Amino acid sequence: MMRLALASLRHRATASTATFLTVLLGTALMGSFATLAQAATGPVSSTDQDTLVIMGAVVGGWGALIVLFAVVSTVGITVTQRETEIGLLRTVGATPRQAARLVRAETFVVAVVASAAGALLASLGGRALLEMLRHGDVVADSVRYQGGAAPAGTAVLIVLVSLLGSGLAARRGTRGPASITPSESARGSQRLRAWRVVAAVLLAAYGLAMGVVTVTVTAHDPDPYAAMSTSGSCAILVSLGLACVAPWLLRHLSVVAKPLLGSSAAAHLAAYNTRRRAHLLSGVLAPVVVLTAASVSVLMAVGTDSRTRPAGFEQDARTINLLNNVVVGMVVLFAAVVVVNTFAAVVAHRRAELHRLWLLGATPGQVESSVLAEARVVAGIGVVLGLVASLATVVPFGIARHEGVVPDGELWLPVVIAVGVVLLTLGSARSAVRRAAPSTGAVR
Amino acid sequence: MGMNSHTSQPTPSGPPPALAVRGLARTYGEGAGAVRALAGIDLTFPTGTFTAVMGPSGSGKSTFLTCAAGLERPSEGRVVIAGEDVTDWSEEDRTRLRRERIGFVFQSFHLMPYLTAAQNVGLPQRLAGHRPDRKRVQALLDRVGLGDRAGHLPAELSGGQQQRVAIARALVSDPAVILADEPTGALDSATAHEVLALLRSSVDDAGHVGGGQTVVMVTHDPVAAAYADTVVFLVDGRIAGTMARPTADAVAGQLAHLDELVAEHSMGAAS
Repeated sequence: MMRLALASLRHRATASTATFLTVLLGTALMGSFATLAQAATGPVSSTDQDTLVIMGAVVGGWGALIVLFAVVSTVGITVTQRETEIGLLRTVGATPRQAARLVRAETFVVAVVASAAGALLASLGGRALLEMLRHGDVVADSVRYQGGAAPAGTAVLIVLVSLLGSGLAARRGTRGPASITPSESARGSQRLRAWRVVAAVLLAAYGLAMGVVTVTVTAHDPDPYAAMSTSGSCAILVSLGLACVAPWLLRHLSVVAKPLLGSSAAAHLAAYNTRRRAHLLSGVLAPVVVLTAASVSVLMAVGTDSRTRPAGFEQDARTINLLNNVVVGMVVLFAAVVVVNTFAAVVAHRRAELHRLWLLGATPGQVESSVLAEARVVAGIGVVLGLVASLATVVPFGIARHEGVVPDGELWLPVVIAVGVVLLTLGSARSAVRRAAPSTGAVR
Repeated sequence: MGMNSHTSQPTPSGPPPALAVRGLARTYGEGAGAVRALAGIDLTFPTGTFTAVMGPSGSGKSTFLTCAAGLERPSEGRVVIAGEDVTDWSEEDRTRLRRERIGFVFQSFHLMPYLTAAQNVGLPQRLAGHRPDRKRVQALLDRVGLGDRAGHLPAELSGGQQQRVAIARALVSDPAVILADEPTGALDSATAHEVLALLRSSVDDAGHVGGGQTVVMVTHDPVAAAYADTVVFLVDGRIAGTMARPTADAVAGQLAHLDELVAEHSMGAAS
């Protein structure tokens, strides 16, 4: 089984790369924050201990949610894309259990290698993070890095989550009857899985509830950062909730977006592809939403804080803004890699379909612009949803700091971020379609 | 039948043939490892005829189709579609040629999975920048017996139904020639019969929607070939004979004979 798994991995380098990079960066990101929590177990003052635990556990916690979601969704995409091949394996006598085991074996190989490398990065990243905190006088100079248990533990956790993700997808992918019919159509997979709905409702409700708590309770706390601690992650939670139901959102919102695309052949194809095969492209939509929401909400909250911070909290402000910048930096980097990756994986899988379009008389330019039109739909919907989700942080925190519903400054920030995210999405679509562009020749 | 290897010029009086190839050759690779898939063939396909191209695997049938369709440039020779020499056309022009002058029917149907039957039929017109003619699309779907399935996605149709949609799509632009690549290769024999009868009627029913066509079909199936007016046999990239008014038995006999020739040839080469 392992040999088959390795051969199969070599055969689909792009899809494996997507899983590999997501797991690698995910482990590095989560592991770096976990080392902070671990440093708190060493000989440190109770103030430092608090700071480290808050940074490691609380802030690392948002990051962890994003990472875990990305890992499950990336692994899910690469497994779901293989329905046809799994059907084929089934016809030559593989039991559903064997087929599922092959998928898990493949994920296992990629995840172990990637998370081991990620743990190494995390041990470096954790040291760098601690160094930065000591340097910024956030914690005492005596605080020391406490060894590799945290990165290693993170690596193990991420491998387990990857296996869970591939297990979920494999169970769905291998349950059906043995078949060689390519099931590249949509209808079968249109129903949203129950766990997605439940997770979406829980995450969004939690995020909104924290927003309400911010306005009603922590806004009146003497500590000005109490409001930030309750509202800071609201947008990320809501955006993750939206990301869970991304296939459903894409299917319905792409209908709204259709008139905006124009009436070219490429737009026509993109409109129906985003609608009827939303489950494929929703893998790209999800990180776009989270990326937009996380960067807009955190940066806007930092802006509000700098305008409305009461005197006497400069030290706290420095710590917290450092933290926020690190979080935004890491989350943005991570989500950006996931967007690029997922697009590459989704488009690479469609090589045959793009070749077919060319056979039927689409110019290479039309093929490319149909994929770019899909990217426009995904980017547009993703940015709008992300901006909506960011309100879950921006509005409660603004109210708590007496700026009201609309912050008093930096209103250009969401625009700049939106443009950046759209360019990133279009750029990754372009590079993906250039790589998968139909070569001339062969009728089949 | 104008179906022989010497009529390389269109007759001065009549319309030009739907498709003609002259001295068509295609070599893959270079130097000692070069493979000559087509070794210079002359064929003319007059308008309103149904021709099957047969041969053992490696005989050059697929290469012939690929070159005739303008998907690949031949190494030598000319491809003339409805009187126009398209050999040296640019990629852009050949793309336009494919969607306006050639109808394709593929072994694996090649429908777009996210478009309905009607949208798939209208796709070549869409790609050409036109709004699909709804009446014509519906008439063609009616013609292939799927008038009530216009709104179905390919996954909701059987293999035979999908291939019938593909035939309607091939007919939509009223092409100069329909090129079919093993159109029944993925179908059972009863469904194959429906598909072949449709191709046959698209040649015969001149005056009807989607009638009066010219079909060139690559196949390995003698039963499929028996629907054609003429069969052309290819061996090692050369024409090894033609057969008018073929029957399945006669075609099967000829193929068996060709297989023997190929086997003898390769054994001779090996010793």
